[in-house]
Amino acid sequence: MLIPHPLLGLRDAEEFTYLGDARLLDRPDGMAEGAAAAFYEYVHLRDNPAGVHRELWFHEQGDRSWLVVTRNTVTHEILGAELARNVKGGAA
Amino acid sequence: MTDLHPICALGATQPQTRRFGPLTLAENSELALASVALRRDAASPDLPQPVPGEWQAAGDIAAFWTGPDQWMVEGPGLAATDFAAQIAARAPGCSVTEQTDGFVAFEITSTTGPGPIRALLEKLVNVDAHRFTAGHATRTGFHHMSVFVIRRADDRLALIGMRSAAGTIWHALTDAAEQLEVMA
Repeated sequence: MLIPHPLLGLRDAEEFTYLGDARLLDRPDGMAEGAAAAFYEYVHLRDNPAGVHRELWFHEQGDRSWLVVTRNTVTHEILGAELARNVKGGAA
Repeated sequence: MTDLHPICALGATQPQTRRFGPLTLAENSELALASVALRRDAASPDLPQPVPGEWQAAGDIAAFWTGPDQWMVEGPGLAATDFAAQIAARAPGCSVTEQTDGFVAFEITSTTGPGPIRALLEKLVNVDAHRFTAGHATRTGFHHMSVFVIRRADDRLALIGMRSAAGTIWHALTDAAEQLEVMA
């Protein structure tokens, strides 16, 4: 399986480690109203789709960047990859 | 008083060298290293800043890309000097960290052009050996470790890895070169 790294091109998936759902980037504000409920959802509740999924991968044996990889969990087709710092930067 | 003798990464007082057919493998104990990271809104340092996946020499130093806004700067022959301080002076406002003694460098040269270097690359690491031409550098997996691989020239390759794993890297390198020699 090859992951199209936005900076380094196609790299073997073996160089990466997998974290999980890309929604982990959206950490709730711990000081906000209702933080306990928001954190309960953030930590425990995930969608588990059969199909297209956005997930966090770490290029551990490479440039150590975090990527948001869009992958089809049924076919393992990789549909795209972007730097998590850009995704997060855009959301902030 | 304690009597301290400086030793090379492979444990001897002199750096190791071995020859396998056209390939010469040598421990490079003279290479100084410092990492440089740009801070947000920092001024651009007076250093080579190669693009992702590349290595660039400039005067008496060289640098290779290690991550977004991060480089490793090399000082050939400068290991005994305060290299990070020299680099920090050229990179005001940047994060500069001494790396020399954390790593071990091996230089591989070929006497018969790029062929043997390409063959060795194919055995060693999971990069496209034909596209990994002079001026390319990357970090990748190697014997369950991570190493930096630099193609300094068509007939020259460098491998930089963890100093504490110097013996393991040297064993893997000499093993691969020996197998190539046997096959040739």
